[in-house]
Amino acid sequence: MMGLFDHLANFVGLRKKQVNVLVVGLNNSGKSTVINHFKNQNERCTDIIPTIGFSVEKFAFKNIGFTAFDMSGQDRYRSLWEHYYKGCHGIIFIVDSNDKLRIVVVKEELDMLLQHPEIAGQKLPILFLANKIDLPNSLTTINLVTCLGLDKIQNKPWHIQATNAITGDGLQTAIEWLTDQIRDIHINRR
Amino acid sequence: MSRDFHWLPNIPNIRKMNAFKRDKKEDEDGSNQFQNLEKTTVLQEARTFNDTPVNPRKCAHILTKILYLLNQGEQLGTTEATETFFAMTKLFQSRDVVLRRLVYLGIKELSSIAEDVIIVTSSLTKDMTGKEDLYRAAAIRALCTITDGAMLAAIERYMKQAIVDRSAAVSSAALVSSLHLTTVSGDVARRWANEAQEALNSDNVMVQYHALGVLYQARKSDKHAVIKLVAKLMRSSPKSSYAACMLIRMACKLVEEVDEGSEFLEFIESCIRHKSEMVVYEAAHALVNLGRSGTREIASAVSVLQLFSGSPKPTLRFAAVRTLNKVAMSHPAAVIACNLDLENLITDSNRSIATLAITTLLKTGAESSVDRLMKQIATFVSEISDEFKVVVVQAIRALCQKFPRKHAVLMNFLAAMLRDEGGLEYKAAIVDTIIAVMEGNVEAKEAGLAHLCEFIEDCEHTSLAVRILHLLGQEGPTSKQPSRYIRFIYNRVILESASVRAAAVTALAHFAAACPALLPNILVLLSRCQLDFDDEVRDRATYYCTILQQNADPAILPLVQPPQLSIPSLERALRNYVRSPMDEEFDISQIPPAQAIEEPAQEVLATVKPQQPRLTREENFMEKLLQVPELSAIIHDSILFKSSTVFELTESETEYNVKCIKHCFSDYLILQFDCLNTLSDQFLEDVRVTVDNQDIYTIVCEVPCVRLPYNELGSTYTVLKFPEDIQSTIITLPTTLRFIAHDCDPSTGIPDAEQGYGDEYTLEDLEITVRDQVRGTGSRNVDFSSSWENAATRGFVTTEQIFGLGANVTTLEEAIQSLVMFLGLEPVERSDRIKSGARQHTLLLTGVFRGGKEVLARAKLVLTNHVTMQFTVRSQDLEVAELMISSVG
Repeated sequence: MMGLFDHLANFVGLRKKQVNVLVVGLNNSGKSTVINHFKNQNERCTDIIPTIGFSVEKFAFKNIGFTAFDMSGQDRYRSLWEHYYKGCHGIIFIVDSNDKLRIVVVKEELDMLLQHPEIAGQKLPILFLANKIDLPNSLTTINLVTCLGLDKIQNKPWHIQATNAITGDGLQTAIEWLTDQIRDIHINRR
Repeated sequence: MSRDFHWLPNIPNIRKMNAFKRDKKEDEDGSNQFQNLEKTTVLQEARTFNDTPVNPRKCAHILTKILYLLNQGEQLGTTEATETFFAMTKLFQSRDVVLRRLVYLGIKELSSIAEDVIIVTSSLTKDMTGKEDLYRAAAIRALCTITDGAMLAAIERYMKQAIVDRSAAVSSAALVSSLHLTTVSGDVARRWANEAQEALNSDNVMVQYHALGVLYQARKSDKHAVIKLVAKLMRSSPKSSYAACMLIRMACKLVEEVDEGSEFLEFIESCIRHKSEMVVYEAAHALVNLGRSGTREIASAVSVLQLFSGSPKPTLRFAAVRTLNKVAMSHPAAVIACNLDLENLITDSNRSIATLAITTLLKTGAESSVDRLMKQIATFVSEISDEFKVVVVQAIRALCQKFPRKHAVLMNFLAAMLRDEGGLEYKAAIVDTIIAVMEGNVEAKEAGLAHLCEFIEDCEHTSLAVRILHLLGQEGPTSKQPSRYIRFIYNRVILESASVRAAAVTALAHFAAACPALLPNILVLLSRCQLDFDDEVRDRATYYCTILQQNADPAILPLVQPPQLSIPSLERALRNYVRSPMDEEFDISQIPPAQAIEEPAQEVLATVKPQQPRLTREENFMEKLLQVPELSAIIHDSILFKSSTVFELTESETEYNVKCIKHCFSDYLILQFDCLNTLSDQFLEDVRVTVDNQDIYTIVCEVPCVRLPYNELGSTYTVLKFPEDIQSTIITLPTTLRFIAHDCDPSTGIPDAEQGYGDEYTLEDLEITVRDQVRGTGSRNVDFSSSWENAATRGFVTTEQIFGLGANVTTLEEAIQSLVMFLGLEPVERSDRIKSGARQHTLLLTGVFRGGKEVLARAKLVLTNHVTMQFTVRSQDLEVAELMISSVG
């Protein structure tokens, strides 16, 4: 009975589309905080602690249901990201723009991600968030594009946005971009 | 401790079972839809987990299949398991409750096989702290299976919160999980004890019980803390019956361990008046099993059990009669009071209860009632399970000892049971009993052998047939008419498998060696066996034929029954011998005997026999000693002659525990000191035990233990050289423990300061005795009289002396026991068993002194008011013989 209703709802486009996004980045770049911000006011948790492994979070935006795999950024878990590449519709890559020291590590991780067979050939939208932009001495988005070599990404739509996950600055525009891209690539195509 | 919790209902498992039941019902034909699953197909299907959106129904079905396979014993490789595990983690995106709980089960099953299982830590901690109550307890249980020592700190805060959670299920899950986590990190229970203490006040019976379990775990190693805990709870008496039962068990343990403790005994006794039946039974059970309870306590416990045995609940009746059955062994008089109630239970519709009732009556009853009870049990013995049949057999065994005159009735009954259907364990119990009866009663021997002969005619258990054939070979030749057994044995050669045939050949050879009249006939039979198509049978037949054909030479006949030597030692000795110039003859007496199989004591009801170890104790020690380079240099080409039993040089409750094992070689004595530092705030270095050699022994070397952290066992060795004069080897040596101590932080074990300080600790005196230098020869059936008579011709010297034994030895048994204990010689020809009521006895002993010097000894004992002993020793070496005599004096 329920199944029939589902089909009907799908057909008339009432039902929310479900998509998976992967949230990656080095530890302490603010992944969990960003995702926490996307959730409804009443579902947010007050204290964010380092994620061990991963955590699945759900939020909705513009009639699209997002399932975010919030991966742990600690180096011993980074090798486990690849287990979740398959079947994701978009990637949110978060960079601590104040952490100039580890920008090379970020580049290395990004390159590995882009070269991974599950990612390389796919047209996946990648949203870069230059987080902690409020801190003094943080890198600008333009700096980051050069540092990370984003201009060399050919086959994927990407966008970089300066954000402050604590206040939520920039997050709205960023997620709007991602939602539109996913809608274009994955939903309208069907 | 954690074993106590096994019976706990594991909710997800029950749910799973129910799911299976439902599935079964759905299948109209009643077949199991999981029956013909194939691993690879199912794992292939598991890829569905990666799909978005998740289809909960489909995924739950596949996951159930995986769980089913795993529970059927299917093995997954690491890659397979890891792949499945990660696919399964994707299911966390579904909010379906059933699916999520199946995922927890999957995590638990795969946690030990898959890699990187900690990936789900955050997801599980989110579930355990979340709002959904259906997730929380199960998430905790799953979390503790994936947590390793490094991750423990990350979840500690959540676990502490969960222990004091309002929900009983969550609190219980956290408490039991913390018990399981003690295998990951030993001090978890101690770190969370405050929370457990709070949980102990819970109103929920389970939570209280589990909290007590954790608190006990936290204090387990500290006896005073346990005493305090138990004493405190005794006063408040826990509301939960489970906790009360556990408290009784803890109190029991304390009563056994501490010297005073009458208050614990009183507490247990007071529990007999508890309102919960479970607690009452636990208390009664505890009282009858405590070594320290007196007649008054036993009587009150038995009266409770008596009450229970009339209960309408079968479980209570069973528990009561089962316990009474056990008590009947140790306190038959106390159980007699229940005889009337037990008589009523004989006709109980539950056969297990009836069996236990009858066997209890058999143990307590008079000789006159034996016939009646045996008849009664015969009516339903075929209806009960093997396990209870074994109980019956054991009761019969006890009866045979009690009423030797009844052996005919009982033997017939046993023979009838042998003919019935039954498993190996049951048949082995019967055979054991028949053998025991035969040993204890000469009159029963002929009848017993006849029954066993009949049994092997149709015996499906190879091991039993081999055993009986061996027994026939031992006992048959001395029976009235040895020839009658030959047919039975030879029938086995014709009809049975190779291992039975080989045993039969050996048995035949024993007859031939012992009965010259049968020799020609048996030689004919053996020569036929030389044509057997099995190598072992043929080899044995040829071996025995050759020996038996040279029967003129008395030296060769004992080879029919060669001594059981330790094979690895023999190999090592032969290897060394081949390397040597081989000028001297190889001395086989140096080789220690193989581990003797300990004959089960008469009273022990153990049904599981200990596996015979591959290596003897000495060989194990030798391996260990050879790994120490300093020692290996001294002993690499000698053979460990004997290792003494463990000797404690400290009281068990002291700061440092030192135990000593003396390893005796032909010229050296290695003292192995096993040291344990029980001070958590100390770290020891350069630990050694100095032995005051009193200028008699020469200290060859000392091997100190370099580091001895808290609670780790370390060994230090001292090598002594025996003095030339054998008499002076018996000595008492003062010993001291010396070490460099570093004070350290108890939690990390890191020393506070670089510089330690030297310290010493006086230990108890170490005694070197005759026993350390003598061992038995290991051949159980040596012909003592011929070696005794021939000793003179082989250059043995004889010494003899008469002793009046001390006033504390009042029976012959005690005299024999202490003599065997003291000298370390081995009694032969079963001369250590005496007929009851005998006033005199001859004890025959053999053994080897280190260096391979053979020792024969005969002790003629006479009991008047005290025991007088004429002790004669024959040995190759006069000094050894004199040592034996002088050490008895």
